[in-house]
This record gives sequence, structure tokens and C-alpha cells, in this order.
Amino acid sequence: MMSKIKHSPRRWWIWFGKHTIMNYLLLVLGALVMVLPMLYMIISSFKENAKTFLYPPVLFPQVHEITISNYRYILDNTAFFRYLGNTLFVSLMTVLISIIVASLLAYAFARLAIPGKKIIYGFIISIMLLPGLALIVPQFELAARLKLINNLWGVILFYSAWVTPFSTFLLRGYIEDNIPTELDESILIDGGSIFSVYRYIILPMASPAIAAISILNFLFPFEELGWSQAILKWDQIRTLPVAITMFFQAHNRTDWGYVFAMTTLAMLPVVCFYLLLQKYFISGLSSGAIKG
Amino acid sequence: MKIRRKFVFDWRVCILFLPPLLFVLFFTIYPMIKMIVMSFFDWKIGYMQTSTFLFLDNYITVLKDPIAKIAIQNTLVYAAVTVPIQIIIGLFAAVLIHGIKRFSVSFRLVYYLPVISSWVVVALLFRYIFSNFGLLNYFIVDILKLTSRPIGWLSSRWSALFAAMLLGIWKGIGWNMVIFLAALQAVPKEQYEAASIDGANKSQRFFHITLPNIRGTMLFVITMLVIGAFNTYTPITVLTNGNPAHQTEVVLTWMYFQTFEALNMGYSAALSVIIAIIIMVITLILFSFRSRNRRLER
Repeated sequence: MMSKIKHSPRRWWIWFGKHTIMNYLLLVLGALVMVLPMLYMIISSFKENAKTFLYPPVLFPQVHEITISNYRYILDNTAFFRYLGNTLFVSLMTVLISIIVASLLAYAFARLAIPGKKIIYGFIISIMLLPGLALIVPQFELAARLKLINNLWGVILFYSAWVTPFSTFLLRGYIEDNIPTELDESILIDGGSIFSVYRYIILPMASPAIAAISILNFLFPFEELGWSQAILKWDQIRTLPVAITMFFQAHNRTDWGYVFAMTTLAMLPVVCFYLLLQKYFISGLSSGAIKG
Repeated sequence: MKIRRKFVFDWRVCILFLPPLLFVLFFTIYPMIKMIVMSFFDWKIGYMQTSTFLFLDNYITVLKDPIAKIAIQNTLVYAAVTVPIQIIIGLFAAVLIHGIKRFSVSFRLVYYLPVISSWVVVALLFRYIFSNFGLLNYFIVDILKLTSRPIGWLSSRWSALFAAMLLGIWKGIGWNMVIFLAALQAVPKEQYEAASIDGANKSQRFFHITLPNIRGTMLFVITMLVIGAFNTYTPITVLTNGNPAHQTEVVLTWMYFQTFEALNMGYSAALSVIIAIIIMVITLILFSFRSRNRRLER
């Protein structure tokens, strides 16, 4: 009752009224805190490299001072598109492998009768608790033995294995909550196998969760540094995080104009990807979390 | 498939379940076991080198090592500071966004932006802002005139950790906000209406209806954030690389250093095991809270 009176839709000022104006003010303030550092990075990338050391720092360069020389430098002197291509390849392969593995596991854990299922599931979930890099010593040795050092597959296979537990956890929850067992049974009674259940019920019906998990896993290679730094030593096969770090170190850790041109370029595909698929980002992320 | 009560061996189940399971076991569980084995040896990775059995010596070295102590301390401080602040700000932002009608999607979009940006990128950005002649010192020295000399943020232990923690909080708020917002939207509206009729004010409604309803989400978030705090590697590497004199190392950067610079494989394996035990204890405590809540609800 009360709420209906408060939000009368006729008055244009009501959504800016005294109840919510505080909300908007605080939220705008927060949004500025979120965005301003990013803007500062983008502005700095358009300043001449030498001017990024100036003190006091130039917040807003004059129009005639704006230059794209940093971008030109990056595109001419680094294999930027090669790094981007490597990262995209790693991302796509990681998504592909982790989704296949995690969806099969999630289906099995949610529906199939397997002896010791709970213990196996507990084991897999316990990997989730460990930081990825905690296993770096034995995993590096394993990668060396499999001749995966300096090989993009050395990154792909391990990333897939790292992200699988969390993906399995989210997908299993989604399958249990949103796909009725009657659907499985209808296929099984008609003489279908568990493969057809997986193919025709689980995969299509879990697609919202699969989309969300794919996005999470897709972004992981754009993010991860420690493992890729250990595996990818050759310049040719570096992914973006490694390439940026190496570029930064090679330029005395100070050539901020160049560095920020490179980071801005690296952010561009991620932000486009984010804006295109925003609704999946948010819906899928929260679906697994609410039941806790 | 609850039709089948008793387990019957089925080759189809094996084909569907075993390959993905073996994949995960091979790349994660096998290294995990290997790590425990390695932690008892002076492990050599090189050709024709023999590893000598040390039993607990690696653990003793780690526990006696002052820098390992600093690294563990730093990680715990990082977790203790960033986890609650992220949750409070994230929850607050979620409540604010939940209370407005227009632009809620835009705000969500903007707040989530730091979450999707790469750690390397934002850590470099913070390194620039926190550098001696950077933006932050400019504000403090020339605009607010708080001190006369620029502060060397990244050249001493606590101020560098402060920068790292600020970065972690800034980057994490959006994630918390999104999760909490979803939880808030799932709280039954009737409860709020009933409370309004009973004359409960805003804060009473928050503490007596909202918080109890999102308890499950809260525990999930705390668990994920604590794990995330132990997972801190990139921000420290980029901001300070553990300098000065390893004062700003966190567990993962110190382990990385021991593995690839000092080549003490046994040492870092033992450190891993110790970290794993710490995380396990923390999560067990958190999960015991959860099961207690469940019991209370019954």
C-alpha cells in the first residue's frame, strides 16, 4: 500500500524525489570512483610519452597536445596483434575444453548413479579452494614432462583444468535447480541413452548457465599472469598479460605513455565483449550464488 | 535417474564420466599429491639430479623463515581488510541500486567495469597513480597540502600494501554488488510489507529482514573473497614485485620467487601445503557457520 503511494508514476520528479535522490547522488559518486581511474589511463595514453612524467601531472591535455604517437609506437614496435591472437586462441580453447568437461561432470554429478560420487565431487570442489598458483611447482614439472613449456597448449590445458571445478559447481547447481528430472526420464523411457539426455536435454536447457560460465572462462586468459609467465617464454607466443608485463619491464618500468596505449588497446576487446554480452555476465554470475 | 536405486555397472556411464574426470584428476589432483610428496624432499627438477628425502625439514625451514612469516602476515592482513570492506561497500551499493527505478542497469554496468578489466592493466594504472610523482601525491602535496614532501607509497611495507588493498577493494566492489543485488531481488517482498505495517524503519528492515535473508549468499561471498585474497599474485607483482627487501611479498609471490628464482622446489611445495591447510581451516570454519544456520532454520 505504502509503496504504491510513494511511487506515483505521474510526477516526473518522483524518481528523482527525496527518497531516491540520495541514492542517485551516492551512486553517481561511486560510479565516478569506478570510472575516473580508467579515464585517467585513457587520457594518459593520448599524451606524448615524455609528458607522462611531468610534475604536476597534466590531467587534461590541451587539444593540440593530444597525440596518437604512443599507439603508433605500440603497433609498430610490438607484435600486439600477435599477442591478441594468442590470447583469443587460448581463451576460445579454454572455453571449449572447460565447457565440455564441466558439463559432462555436472550432468554426471547431478543425475547419474556413480559409486563414491559425493567423495569425488568433494575432491573436485576442494580444488576450487586452492589458489591456482598454489600447485605451480608440480604443475610446472608436469608441463615440462609433457613438453608443454613454450607452448600455448601448456597454458590452455592447465587453465581448463583450473576453471573446471567452479564451472562444474555452477552448472551442477543450475541443472539440479532448473531442469526437471521428468525430462530426462521421458527420454530414457523412450529408449534413449544418457548421451541423448546430455545432448538433447542438458545442453540446450543449461545454455544460459553455459553462456555465463563461458564468459567467465573466456576472460580468464586476459587476466592470468603467473602461470602464463612461467610457461610462455618466447616473445612470439605470449598472451597479452605477459606481453604487457614484459613490455613494461623492458621499458625501464616508466614509459607510461606507451604502456597505457598498450593496456588501453588490450582493454578494448574485453570491454566490447562485455558491452555486447552484458546481460549474460550478470544473470549467470548470480544464478549460482544465491542459494549459496 | 532416481529410477535406478542400486548401482549397476554401465559402460555408458563410464564413457560419459571417466574421460572428463581423468582430465581433471591428471592436471590438478595428481599435482596436488605430487606437491605433498615434493614437500618432503629437497626436490631437484634438473637432469640427473637426485632429490634427497628430508621429511619435515622443508616445513621447519618455512616456519622459521622470517620472510615466509611476512608473506603469510601480509596475506592475512590483506584478507582481513579487503574482504569486509568489499562486502560492506558492495552490499551498500546493491541496496542503493535496488532502491532506484531508472538507470539501475547502467550503474550495474559501470560498477562491474573494474571487475572485467585485467589485473595487469589496473595494477599498472595504480602503480602510476601511486608513484612518487604521481596523481595521488600531487593531490596530497600540492592541492590538499597535507605534507610538503611526496610520500613513497610503493617503497615501504604498509603503504604499498595499502595501495594493493585499495586496488583489490576497488576492483572487487562490482562483483559483490552484482551478487548481493541478485540476492536482494530474491528476498520476498511480503516480508518488507509486513514489517512496514508493523512500523519498522529502514534500518530495522535492513537488519531484521534483508540480512537474515541473504545469509547464504553472504557466506558464499565471504568464502570466495577469502580464497580470492589468498589468490593475490598479479597486483603485488606489478605494484612492488615484493620489494623493498621482500617486505611486501604475499604467499603466492613468495612461492613464485622460491620456485623460479631461488629454485627451492621443496620449500615452495611445503609453503603450498601450509597455505592449503590455512585455507581449509578457514573454509571449514565458514562452512560450520553455514550448517549451524541451516540447523537454526529447521
